[in-house]
Amino acid sequence: MNYIILIFFIFIIYSLASALYYMMKDGGGSKRMVKALTLRVGISILLFLFILFSFWMGWIKPAGVA
Amino acid sequence: MQSRSDYFVPDGSYWPILGSIGMAALLGGFAASLHDSLVGTISMILGFGIIIFMLFGWIGQVINESETGTYNLQVDKSFRIGMGWFIFSEVMFFAAFFGALFYARQLSVPWLAGEGNNFWTGENLWPEFKSVWPLIKMPDTTNFTVPKGIIEAWEIPAINTLTLLTSGATLTYAHWSLMDENRSGLIGGLIATIILGVIFLGLQAFEYIEAYQHLDLKLTSGIYGSTFFMLTGFHGLHVTLGTIMLIVILMRAIRGHFKKDRHFGFEAVAWYWHFVDVVWLGLFIVVYWL
Repeated sequence: MNYIILIFFIFIIYSLASALYYMMKDGGGSKRMVKALTLRVGISILLFLFILFSFWMGWIKPAGVA
Repeated sequence: MQSRSDYFVPDGSYWPILGSIGMAALLGGFAASLHDSLVGTISMILGFGIIIFMLFGWIGQVINESETGTYNLQVDKSFRIGMGWFIFSEVMFFAAFFGALFYARQLSVPWLAGEGNNFWTGENLWPEFKSVWPLIKMPDTTNFTVPKGIIEAWEIPAINTLTLLTSGATLTYAHWSLMDENRSGLIGGLIATIILGVIFLGLQAFEYIEAYQHLDLKLTSGIYGSTFFMLTGFHGLHVTLGTIMLIVILMRAIRGHFKKDRHFGFEAVAWYWHFVDVVWLGLFIVVYWL
């Protein structure tokens, strides 16, 4: 399960990093940055929902005191 | 804007020297105040005031220069490169703290319990000690506050994750509104993002009070307490800074600054907020879940 979360996270970092690249490279008029950031928000929400679902299904447990 | 080859050379400025005086007064005053010096405390407060005045003055001047069309493409590029270095330092900052958590949790605590080639370390130091995380049963509690429990992931941390994710969405709405020349959408999106940022900070403060008063989970609660407060605390500081930056951007948006094709200030602050948001998501997973 941790690997699925990790894959989600890699995609989030990738979209955030590409937004940074577009910010550095493009001028103000380009929409590439805002598109990459929209993707970033979308994947993050999906990941949160996935964690919620995994918890509900009993696949993962929060860190607790043993 | 002119071509990229022309460089804008600003007039002489007194802001750098004023900033230096402010920083010297702040740090010197802070050092003296630790020795119970009243002059030191006054100097510290004065230094802080000078720095705030300098920030408003200097950044205000830069904004004014930008709005009056003094800057060309070369200056625009230099702002972007400056932001790039700032982001690099921020990534390194958080990498060090996540690294500290990883080192303590995956390496040093198991070693103390005798893992790897450290069998005799465990036997000689604390033979009864078992490596668990969160580490709230320290082998030697003489100098530490032993916590009664930890913050549960499904309480405030989950609500806070939802708050920050929503703020990312409202900021993206503001960003799209700016690109579509929808001024009221831009302002509304920014206001919503700021409110969500303040809610996050309020809940975080509440969580800390809860940890200190009811759980005895403190900065002095061994390696778990120190990594927990260091990571979430510095993240909270970044949300505070981000919120202040967003307020400045909101004020500028209300005054009619930023055009569809010319809004680097907005872009930089927006990216910073998204970055802080992703750091929180990482914290939520690593600190509260795994």
